[in-house]
Amino acid sequence: MEKIIVCIKGVPKPGSIKVDPETHTLKRESMELILNPNDRPALELSARLKETYDAEVIVISMGPPNVVPLLKYAYASGADQMILLSDRAFAGSDTLATSYVLAKAIKKLSPFSLVLMGLKSIDGETAQVPPETAALLGIPSLTNVKNILKEKNKWIVIRENEYGEEEVEVEAPLIVSVSPVAFDYIRPPSLKRLIEVKNKEPLIWTASDLNLDPQKLGLSGSPTQVVEVYERKIEMKGNILEGEPQELVEKLIEVLKEKTLIKH
Amino acid sequence: MFEKIKLENLPKENILTFGEFYKGKLHNSSLEILSPLKNIAKSLNKKLILVCLIDSFKNIKNLKEIKKSLADEVWFVINSELKDFKDDLYTEVLTQIIKSSQPYGFFFPATKIGMSLAPRIAGALKVGLCAHVNYLEVKDNQIVMSRPTYGENIIAKLVSKSSPVMATISLGVFNIKYGKEEPLMKEIIFPENFSWSSKLKIRNFIPSKKKPTKLSTAKIVVSGGRGLKNKETFQKLFELAEILGAEVGATRPVCYEGWVEEERMIGVSGVTVKPKVYIGFGISGALQHTVGMENSEFIVAINIDKEAPLVKMANLALIGDARKILELLLKRLKS
Amino acid sequence: MIQYPFNEEQKILVNLIKQIGEEYIKPYALEWDEKEIYDEKPIKALADADLFGIIIPREYEGLGWGSFEMCLAVEKLSYYCAGVSTTYAASFLGSYPIILFGNKEQKEKYLPDIAKGKKLCAFALTEPQAGSDAFAIKTSAKKKGDFYILNGMKQWITNGGIADIYIIIAITDPAKGARGASAFIVEKNDPGFSIGKKEKKLGLRASVTTELFFNDCRIPKDRLLAREGMGFIVALRTLDFARCGAGAQALGIAQAAMEISLKHATSRIQFGQPIYNFQAVSHTFADMAIKIEAGRALVYNVAKFIDSGAKEISGASSMAKCFATDIAMWITERAIQMMGGFGYMRDYPVQKYFRDAKCLQIYEGTNEIQRNIIARELLKYYK
Repeated sequence: MEKIIVCIKGVPKPGSIKVDPETHTLKRESMELILNPNDRPALELSARLKETYDAEVIVISMGPPNVVPLLKYAYASGADQMILLSDRAFAGSDTLATSYVLAKAIKKLSPFSLVLMGLKSIDGETAQVPPETAALLGIPSLTNVKNILKEKNKWIVIRENEYGEEEVEVEAPLIVSVSPVAFDYIRPPSLKRLIEVKNKEPLIWTASDLNLDPQKLGLSGSPTQVVEVYERKIEMKGNILEGEPQELVEKLIEVLKEKTLIKH
Repeated sequence: MFEKIKLENLPKENILTFGEFYKGKLHNSSLEILSPLKNIAKSLNKKLILVCLIDSFKNIKNLKEIKKSLADEVWFVINSELKDFKDDLYTEVLTQIIKSSQPYGFFFPATKIGMSLAPRIAGALKVGLCAHVNYLEVKDNQIVMSRPTYGENIIAKLVSKSSPVMATISLGVFNIKYGKEEPLMKEIIFPENFSWSSKLKIRNFIPSKKKPTKLSTAKIVVSGGRGLKNKETFQKLFELAEILGAEVGATRPVCYEGWVEEERMIGVSGVTVKPKVYIGFGISGALQHTVGMENSEFIVAINIDKEAPLVKMANLALIGDARKILELLLKRLKS
Repeated sequence: MIQYPFNEEQKILVNLIKQIGEEYIKPYALEWDEKEIYDEKPIKALADADLFGIIIPREYEGLGWGSFEMCLAVEKLSYYCAGVSTTYAASFLGSYPIILFGNKEQKEKYLPDIAKGKKLCAFALTEPQAGSDAFAIKTSAKKKGDFYILNGMKQWITNGGIADIYIIIAITDPAKGARGASAFIVEKNDPGFSIGKKEKKLGLRASVTTELFFNDCRIPKDRLLAREGMGFIVALRTLDFARCGAGAQALGIAQAAMEISLKHATSRIQFGQPIYNFQAVSHTFADMAIKIEAGRALVYNVAKFIDSGAKEISGASSMAKCFATDIAMWITERAIQMMGGFGYMRDYPVQKYFRDAKCLQIYEGTNEIQRNIIARELLKYYK
C-alpha cells in the first residue's frame, strides 16, 4: 500500500493576527487558527490518490495544540492517521527551521511514496517549505502541481509554470506542492468520519521524540530574522469627493478626459 | 568566443543572480531584478553576476538584452540536460557554483521556477531565504530586505544570519535599466565527473492556452474588489477596460471567490503594476494589494468607505457604491 | 427564538450542512436560479459528506438515522437553496420504497450505492391525467415471461434524467382498480426508458423536472417491489414518510426569508427611522416568527412521532407538510412586501424564496389533498 503524507498548517483567521512585539513573529497559540485554505487542494489530491491507488494517508501538522481540530478536519476529509508535531521550542521558526522539523518527522514515517503540501500558506506566503524540506531529505520536489497519476512504478506529475503545463516522470519518494487552482471541486468532510474522529486524538511528537538539535529550532534555527516591523502609514493624498453617483461619474469622466484616456 | 573558467576557479564573494530562460529567451524578471541588485553590489563593492543555465548558446534569442544589462559579468553553464527546468539538476549545478564561488548573496526572481529553485538551494545549503522581497538596502554593511507580511498592514525588514544571503524578488516592482558597459561573458566548465542526471524526466509540455495577461506592463489598470458585490458586476470591468484600452486587475479575495482568474491578482504574491492611471472599484486597500499598485502615477479609488486605506492613498477618491458608479460610468461612456 | 436540544451527532450534522451550504451553495444559488442551471457540485458534496445515507439502515452502509435527522438536514439545506434541497429530498422520496418494501436482494443491490451518494433516486407517480387523482394513472406493466414490459409516461418528475434509480407506479391489472397497481424499480439505462424535456419552472429552478417515457420498456421481474397490486400502498406509505421532509424544506425557506427581510427592515431608514419601528412592519415580523416556530414545532414533533415507530402517521405527516408549506408561502410573500421595491428585484434572493415556496404547496400532494387526508383521518378519532 502506498503511503502518502500530507502536511497541513494552521493559519490565523484573517483579521485576528497577533504579532509578538519582541520577536516579530506570530503568536500562534493565542490566535484563532483555520486550516490554510491552500492545503485543501493537497488534502483533496490525497483523497483522490487514496481512492484510485489504494493508499494510506497520514496527515501531519507542526503547531501548537490549537491545531488539533484542523487535523481532525483532515481525518474527516479522508486521512487515516493524524500526527501533531508540537513543542515550545518550535515557536518562531522560519522556513528553514520548519523544514528541518518536517523533514525529521517525514523521515520517521519512512518508507513513503509522496508528501503533499499546499503551495503556500496565506500568512507567510513564501511557498518555500515544500522544496526546502525535499532538499533536506535529498528527494525531488515539484511545485504548482495540478495532478498526479501512477504509471507502473513511476509517478507522472502534471505541474504548471509561467509558460504552460508539463508532465514530469519521477520515481517515489518525492515532495509535491499542490496548486491552489488544481481542482474545480474539493470534497467536504464526511459525516461518518466526523463522528468517528470525535473519539480519536492525534499522535503527538515533540522535539525529543524526533531527536532534534535544539540549535536548529525556533529562533536560533532561523537564519532569516525580522529586524523591524512597521505599519504602513497612509497619508491623505488628494481629493476626496462625495455626492450623488451621477455627479461622481461626471467628475471621473472629466479626469479621464484630462488624462487623454477618453476622447472629448 | 568567451572566456572559459573552471568551476573550482570561480572568483569569490560577489552578488550572484539567476537568469531564467524559456525557449532561449531570458525572462524579463531576471533583468528587472538587476536594477536593485546593482545598487546593492555597488554599496558593498562587489560585482553583480548573472548566472544562466542553458542547453546551447546559439539558442539564446535575446542576447542583445543581456549585453545591455546591468550585470558586470554573465556566467553560462552549458549542457543539453539543462534544456528543461529540472529542480534537482538546477539545484545541484547552482549549489556547486555557490560552494565554489562563495557569493555574498544569491538572488532569484519570484517566478514559479524561481520559487521552486531558491528554496531547494537554501535547504541544500541550510541557509536562510526571504521570499517576495520588494525593497533592498544596505545598512552597516548588511543587506536588509523588506517585504509585506502576515497579510495585514505590516512591512517586515529582514536580514539573513547565514551566507550567502538569499532572496526571491517580487516581479514587476523594478524597471529594467541598462548598463554603461557590456558585461564580461564567461562559460563555467564543470568537472568531467559531474553528474548531469536528474530524477525528473520532462515528458510532455503543453503551452498555456491562455494568453499571459499584459497586466504588469499595462499603462492603465482598472481593478475590482469585493465592493463590486458579485462576479457579474466584476466582469463589467472588462467592458470598461476595452473602452479605455486598459488591463483588468483584482484583489486576492475576489480571485479566490472565482470572480476572475488568479493571473489578474495584484499584490504581494500576484502581479505588481505601475500604470499611469489606476482605478480601483470597491477595493479597501489592504497592504496585500496596495504593495502591488502603490507606485501607480495617478490613483483613483471608488469606495463607499471614506476611511479605506486606498481612499487615503488615492489622488482622487469618489465616495459611493462602486457597483453603481461602474454601471453609470459604462452607461455614460457607451452613449 | 426557541432552542432545540441536539445530541452530539445531530450537532455535527447541522454544522456540516451549514459548511456545505456556505461553501458550495450560497455563492451560486442566485445564479443557478437566474440561469435555471442544475449544478452537480453541491450534490457531489452532499454525497461525499455521506448525507444521502441519513435514512439508509446501517447494514446497507447508511447512518441508520430517522425522519428527525432527515428533516434537520433538509431544513438547514433549504435555507441555502430549496432547489438543491429538492434534488436531495427527492432522492429520499425515491429511496423510501426500497427501504420500506424492498426484499433483501433489492436492498443489497441498491441501498449501499444510494447511501454513498453514487446513485440518485426519483419517484414517479404523476401522469398528465393523474395528479391529485393518482388512481387515474394509465402507465401499464405487462408480465411477459421473466420480464415486465412498461408502456406510458410520467410527468413532472423531480430528478428526471439525473437519477439512476426510478420508482415507477404502473398498472399491472386494470380490472382491479386501486388494487391493480404495482411498484417497480427502473434503472436509467433500461431499454425502452427515455427522459423527456426539462420543464421550465417558476421556482426550484436549480432542480431538474422532466417527463419520463416508457416505450416497451423491458425490466427483469425481480424489479417488482413487494407484490403485484401493492403499488398504491407502496406509494402512499412512501409519501407518509417523506411528507415531513417537504415541511422541513418550507421551514428552511421561511427562515431565510424572514432573516433577510428583517435585516433590511432594521437598516432601511424612511421618515428618519428604521422601518422596523413602524408597527405594521414589526408586527408582521412577530407573526412570521410565531408561524415559523409553530411550523418547526409541528414538523419536529411529527418527525419524532414517526421515528417512535407509530403505525398511523398519515394524518400527522399531512399536517406537518400542509401547515409548514402554507406558512412558508405567507412568510415569503410578506418578506417581499417588507422589503418593498428591493424585494421585487431579482438581484435580491427574497423573490426566489417566494417562487420556491409556491411549489411546496403543490408537490408531494397538494395542500388540498393534504386536508382531505387529515379530514379522513379525523374520522378515525372522532366519529
